[in-house]
Amino acid sequence: MSRFSDTPRRRLMDALWPWLCAASVALSLLMLAALLALLVVRGLGHFWPATLEEITLRSGDSVAGQPTREAPLPQADGFERLYFTANRDIDGASWRWVNLDDIASRSTPSDLIRLERNPWGDFIGRLAGVETGGQLLREDQAWRYLTQALALPQAERPDAELLLVTSDGQTLRQPLSNFSQALAPNAMSWWQKIHTWSRNVWQFLSQGPRAANTGGGVWPAIFGTVLMVILMSVIVTPFGVLAAIYLNEIAHQNRLTRLVRIGVRNLAGVPSIVYGVFGLGVFVYGIGGTLDSWFFSDTLPSPTFGTGGLLWASLTLALLTLPVVIVATEEGLARIPDAQREGAVALGATRLEMLVRIVLPMAIPAMLTGVILAVARAAGEVAPLMLVGVAKLAPQMPVDGEFPYLHLERKFMHLGYHLFDTAFHGEDVQAAIPLVYATALLLVLIVLVLNLTAIFLRHYFRRQRGSEC
Amino acid sequence: MTPPRAAVSRQPLRQLKNRIATGLITAGGIGVLLAILAIGVFLIWETLPLLAWDQTFAFSKLSPLAWGTLKAALAAMLFALPIALGAAMYSALFMSARLRSRVKPALEMMEAIPGVVVGFIAGLVLAPWVERHLASTLALLIWLPISAGLAGVLWHMAASRWRKWLPLSWAGLWLLPWLVCMVLLALWFAPLLEQFLLGGDLRRLLEQHWGMDYATRNALIVGIAMGFAVIPSIYALAEDALADVPTSLMEGAQALGASRWQALWKVALPAAGPGIFSAVMIGAGRAVGETMIVLMASGNMALLSVSPFEGMRSMAAAIAIELPEASPGGLTYHHLILAALVLFIFTFLVNTLAEVVRSRMRRRYHKAGRH
Repeated sequence: MSRFSDTPRRRLMDALWPWLCAASVALSLLMLAALLALLVVRGLGHFWPATLEEITLRSGDSVAGQPTREAPLPQADGFERLYFTANRDIDGASWRWVNLDDIASRSTPSDLIRLERNPWGDFIGRLAGVETGGQLLREDQAWRYLTQALALPQAERPDAELLLVTSDGQTLRQPLSNFSQALAPNAMSWWQKIHTWSRNVWQFLSQGPRAANTGGGVWPAIFGTVLMVILMSVIVTPFGVLAAIYLNEIAHQNRLTRLVRIGVRNLAGVPSIVYGVFGLGVFVYGIGGTLDSWFFSDTLPSPTFGTGGLLWASLTLALLTLPVVIVATEEGLARIPDAQREGAVALGATRLEMLVRIVLPMAIPAMLTGVILAVARAAGEVAPLMLVGVAKLAPQMPVDGEFPYLHLERKFMHLGYHLFDTAFHGEDVQAAIPLVYATALLLVLIVLVLNLTAIFLRHYFRRQRGSEC
Repeated sequence: MTPPRAAVSRQPLRQLKNRIATGLITAGGIGVLLAILAIGVFLIWETLPLLAWDQTFAFSKLSPLAWGTLKAALAAMLFALPIALGAAMYSALFMSARLRSRVKPALEMMEAIPGVVVGFIAGLVLAPWVERHLASTLALLIWLPISAGLAGVLWHMAASRWRKWLPLSWAGLWLLPWLVCMVLLALWFAPLLEQFLLGGDLRRLLEQHWGMDYATRNALIVGIAMGFAVIPSIYALAEDALADVPTSLMEGAQALGASRWQALWKVALPAAGPGIFSAVMIGAGRAVGETMIVLMASGNMALLSVSPFEGMRSMAAAIAIELPEASPGGLTYHHLILAALVLFIFTFLVNTLAEVVRSRMRRRYHKAGRH
């Protein structure tokens, strides 16, 4: 009679299924760990001053560069290795694939240096000398002079010319003002490397992009992201809380309210790109276009508010995250026992006083959680921004010393979009990839930290309130 | 007791303030709700002009996009469903409570990883790798479930001393190194197998014998990447549904002689069915609307093909690429808004369905005497 059959085959399957399920937990964790490990290793590893190699080919040529990766040859057996050789002004390219069979010898001479410069990107080779004021410095003296000069601020650097020699013996002469950093990674101690690493990380966080986003830092993108998110939370918090209070405290709890509540909850699942379309159609073309024709008609047809900008992006994301805040706040309001409200009213408080003095203070943790979750969602969202105002390279920061200081109509840079654009539309993707990893790591860190804060806050307040509610 | 003392002259002021504030909150609340509803109204309003244009053109333009969306979502669900549901079943019913309180937030963190990061890894790291190691990838997809079963068989054969050290309730954790070893084994073995069985590169074989093109960024990649992104949302909801099943039901089944797995399969799963259904629906809604992953990992060619090795262009990606360039009021503009409307209606309906089913189930358990 049993519905629970007990044949040997069944028994085997019964014993094995839980293992498949356990493996899917393990697999999910493995994928997550692999993704994070990849980001951390490649993102942080990029800033480590890598060893430079000098190789002699069988043909007698010599190449200096940083070995990047190896891949099997496309048609034949064997492997080839990719070197970052820099020196774009001399070779015309800064990457070179070398067949492993062609390499006669490899060495890491300590006098190889790597110079950051603008234009032409990095230089890898040797320093033959420095000419300054008619005097020619050589060897160690030249190197010391160079590092000291580069430590000075740009304006105070002396006039000088560098004599550089590439690995294959070509010489060139370039003014000191082109250069920004000099490293001799093969001669550095561990301590110096760690120092350089941390300086590079700091530069990445604090500088603007250089050389078509393949070098430099992401400071404008960080700034744009943070500013946009702040504006968004300033907009979304009052409105979200207002709507939640209305739904939970003032509206009659009938069928319509329930429907509205389900509707709001479902809007959290509507794809973000749809919000982007709404933002573009209503905010940018609709409201922005109207504002332009009223106030900025002298600059038309070039639009002021009628194109994507900081304000429209913040508004769109505020709309996108509104359901998150409403749902979280409502949950918090619903957890407050009715006895508290009734007690306040019984003591003669009006509804406003009851809300402001009793209910809202108790619901603050829930609101805070909602806003943090909203910020975390907004910080990682890219798709709607592509429609309403993000730029690959914003010429001006949205905040500056010029009246009115905060320029809501300007386009801005965003970490997520910066990542997308550099990785998929860059000119030299090969060179940009390490920076993309670093940007991705930064973005993930920001979002994870925000989410963790929300989780801990919720946990903390629940525990603290546990005795009251 | 005397009533709280307030100056009589201030009473009307308090009442007035209260009335004004209530009015303002009501107005603000309704205004916000209307603003949210305005999204649907706007999309419908902007689609109306399309009625004046030729319908067949809109159809021919949108059908590859619709197909691309479905294909991407389908691929993602194929990858995500077994993993997410398996993980949910295991962590709701087998996992030790301590491990569960750690693993659940970790998997929820997975949901927070921005789509643009997943898309970047998929498009620029995973896609080229899979292109070079197609046979290994397919071998991995088959080998990993088998190796999990193998772990089970070995465990049952092992001495009881070992079993105590490595209990099933912690298997989610200690299977990790096992899986890593199995992945490495498969990566080492698959090329040899490919050479031995197929006598060469699988990709070339596909092209020569079946005439299948292989695009670097294809449905397989999108499936894996977007699957990764929807696993946590399906997992979280399905796990909640399973954990909400009254334990008395499971205990009853086990008392009647069911094994743990039978109790799960025949009792808990049907009982949590609506909750799991709504989890799947919400996952599908996410997969349909996800933009950045498809944009970065699919190649964005509007094709009507069933091959898992060819790319596609989804509606969301098409909107993200084409809408900034489309002139407002033009035909493309209205078409893209129609696509957005379709996405909106689809996800809204799917989510509403899921929500209704879920709240029904909650009420049923409520009656069954839990909570």
